Amino acid sequence: MSSSLREVNLILGGPQGGGLETSMYVLTRALAYRGYGVIADREYYSNIVGRHSYIHMRISSTSIPNSLTYPVNIIAAMDAETIFIHFEDIADKGIVVYDVNTENTKIEDIASIEDELRERLVKKLDYLGVEHKVSSLIKYLIDNKDASIIGLDFAKILNEIKNRFKLDVRQLSRYVSGIITSAIANLLGLDEEAMGKSLAIHFKERKHLIEPNLELFKLVRKYIKDKNVDLELSKPSTGLKEVIVASGNEVVAMAKIISGVRYQSYYPITPAADESFFLEKYELSKIDDKVIGPIVVVQAEDEIAAINSVIGAALTGARSSTATSGPGFDLMVEGISWAGHNEVPIVVTYYQRGGPSTGLPTRGSQSDLFNALFASHGEFARIVLASGDHLEAFYDTIEAFNLAEKYQVPVIHLLDKFLANSIITMPKPNIDAIVIERGEVVDNVADYKRFDLSNLISPRAYLGSNVIMWYTGDEHNEYGHISEDSENRIKMYSKRIEKLRLIEEEVPVNKKFTVIGEDNPDYIIIGWGFVKGVAVDAIKALEEKKLKGAYINIRMLWPFPAKELREILRKVPLDKIIVAEHSYEALIANLISMTIGVKIRKKIVKFTGRPMTLNEFVKALYSLLTSDREKVILGHGA
Amino acid sequence: MAHDYMRYKANVWIDWCPGCGNFGILTALMKAFAELNLDPTKTVVVSGIGCSGKIPHFINVNGVHTLHGRAIPYAMGIKLANPKLTVIVNGGDGDLLGIGAGHFVALGRRNIDITVILHNNGVYGLTKGQASPTLPLGKQPKALPKPNIQKALNPIMLALASGYTFVARGYAFDINHLKELIKKAISHRGASFIDVLQPCVTFNNIYTAEYYRKRVYKLEKDPNWNPIVEDPSEAPTKMFKAMQKSLEWNNRIPIGIFYVNPHEPSFEERINERMQGTYLKHPPAKSIISTVKGKPVINNYLFKKLFKDYIIEVKEKS
Repeated sequence: MSSSLREVNLILGGPQGGGLETSMYVLTRALAYRGYGVIADREYYSNIVGRHSYIHMRISSTSIPNSLTYPVNIIAAMDAETIFIHFEDIADKGIVVYDVNTENTKIEDIASIEDELRERLVKKLDYLGVEHKVSSLIKYLIDNKDASIIGLDFAKILNEIKNRFKLDVRQLSRYVSGIITSAIANLLGLDEEAMGKSLAIHFKERKHLIEPNLELFKLVRKYIKDKNVDLELSKPSTGLKEVIVASGNEVVAMAKIISGVRYQSYYPITPAADESFFLEKYELSKIDDKVIGPIVVVQAEDEIAAINSVIGAALTGARSSTATSGPGFDLMVEGISWAGHNEVPIVVTYYQRGGPSTGLPTRGSQSDLFNALFASHGEFARIVLASGDHLEAFYDTIEAFNLAEKYQVPVIHLLDKFLANSIITMPKPNIDAIVIERGEVVDNVADYKRFDLSNLISPRAYLGSNVIMWYTGDEHNEYGHISEDSENRIKMYSKRIEKLRLIEEEVPVNKKFTVIGEDNPDYIIIGWGFVKGVAVDAIKALEEKKLKGAYINIRMLWPFPAKELREILRKVPLDKIIVAEHSYEALIANLISMTIGVKIRKKIVKFTGRPMTLNEFVKALYSLLTSDREKVILGHGA
Repeated sequence: MAHDYMRYKANVWIDWCPGCGNFGILTALMKAFAELNLDPTKTVVVSGIGCSGKIPHFINVNGVHTLHGRAIPYAMGIKLANPKLTVIVNGGDGDLLGIGAGHFVALGRRNIDITVILHNNGVYGLTKGQASPTLPLGKQPKALPKPNIQKALNPIMLALASGYTFVARGYAFDINHLKELIKKAISHRGASFIDVLQPCVTFNNIYTAEYYRKRVYKLEKDPNWNPIVEDPSEAPTKMFKAMQKSLEWNNRIPIGIFYVNPHEPSFEERINERMQGTYLKHPPAKSIISTVKGKPVINNYLFKKLFKDYIIEVKEKS
């Protein structure tokens, strides 16, 4: 079999803690080096070692992929569990890479599979008439899917590496993920130079690991050649010259550094903590003679301390932010109310995960929309931004600080686990086009009034400048002293809320939402955040069926761009408007109903914590467009 | 005149109950500011919620009246972003040791150069007299429907266990003594704590001014009492003595300095050391983040250098 593909989808599976994240980075960097576009999602349990985790990847030789899809061309399994869990996701004529030593493993032997899943898989195997062990399943895949099987003797390969590099036997488990990484790299036609480059970046601080891993790559190539399986990606034509390979957490952290963040406080929580780690790593950098920083990163005693210390730091003029997820945000809410009341510019980067309560702590969701918009007692102006992909998240992070300081409001940047933990080959942003806006700042004025009522935005002075000021959570007068007077209350209260009107007027429409696709569409999908990629790809896919669609990617969720959006929604019949969201209710539809008065009934939702994939989305979309069906609940993905 | 403390008085009517211990604390605080000649623009009083929470509004320096229990986190953010500021936290016993106890402990662990003044009156005054974390078991101040069923904690012991490097107790109506403690606490480098016994005239009819007047005595009157860790090796012994002393209550209540350890590096010093001196030279609040043209300090060139591990230059296979 020989083929040259423009696109390859694959899954690498194995136990959590087994090195799959490394596989994801190593493969993506090597592919990026050779000019391919890659998106890779990491799915894992709330567990350190042992539970099933996998990387779902899409590689393109023509563009940067926007979404993930099934079935996949390759499944590379570190263990038997991966084969049982993902066997149905393999495409016809797909490739399975596995360890021949697991052939006799039965599904009943695998303790780490959850009971519910095992029961379901056993039923399926019984239905298909497949014995419950790996070898039978492999045979089934050969017979029914015409799969190419690459059975490797992992123990033998590890032993060869062990002997060659005189490795301690206890270190060998670290190389298991390297075997499947190598297998995939070879199948994709990656060369030694590309792998060498990638490994050198990944193991920059553990250089002794580079050579054995490169050797592993070559060793596995030898074994794969014997199998006579060939799947080669076609020559890349993405036109990419320079790309960033980074996760959402990393991209946001980079943007915070560009923004000039000087204080970040956080409490450890998945999937936000990696952002703070990144910032701490870059707390102080010296390039040529230029000092970048200092960024003080404080791991606080709880999220309450994190947010309130961020507010304190912001009062002194330092750009300040925190990063958290739903449960942490809940604890921050009282502080956000104080910041809104005292008109303090802070940025809260909010990576949603599956709730309620602890929910699915390592998986994604968009079900916290209303939490971001409405949490807190009292009324005050806030801004909530969302980003459709890594590059948008980069620019929006900078925008978040600018808006916060310009309008003296808390800004919540609403992201999710999908973005946080997925990596992409992102075009390098144009740094020289970025602007830093700090709003109106004064330093030395007579009779300074922090909450001067002559304008909606009172000039800010920093604590520590040449004037003194007061802040209080109580209603206050222009100086910041407590005042319960009715007339003062009316003025101060209105001022804080009326800032929203100013924001609505001044923020350009392309920062509120973007429309991707047809100018005169037959149908519209509305969404926000990580839905963008899959929606845009689905619209493209339906062009074959002569359906012309457009995606509205909402980037400013609050104040909601009702006026501008209403104009666009008028252009298509209501039953041709579909909302998509990783939640149960498709909360964005409720928000549109509340702000525009249009009640959208057609919805595509998913709340398994796994991202919507193109295959299921296209099917749902087509069904909604061609029938009376109102809601499709997606559920694909282990 | 440096000693004219009334220049630190803000033009706001003080709405505490007549005879409240807070008046003593306020006066001692302003006198301490005056004697230290603190620049009002470089001084920040941070408070929580309750009667004591209003104190920043009565003082003519920067004031930040925050949330219940959260004065310490605000103060931490202010101080770490601008370490040149003098930052003082005023909070009640419910505020600092009840709802905010986690922050109280964390500040000690960090040893940030902040002075914490506990307005300790045994009750929640502004919500009309409920039991606070420092009210002993079985006591029943007049607002309580039943005697207190929870035990009191020991603020001095907790401060010592948490890592505060200056721990003292004052009495609200011994203003000059308290003023001296506040001056020393502010001058101390690191986290300092003063437990101030504060009569609540309205709700605490047990721990009254008369109660304290009869019992308080000054530690410094004892010529053998030396709470200062002169050499780092003495720290455990001195701390043990301070803890022992902190158990003294009832008939005689010690006020004065319990423990001072000037040898521990402050949090700011630790950050500064990690950042090779850059932190104190260009603290977060003062470091420049944009050019005069409103561009980020990091341009394309610096971006590429800074994040080189994340940037891949495409090299197509020949």
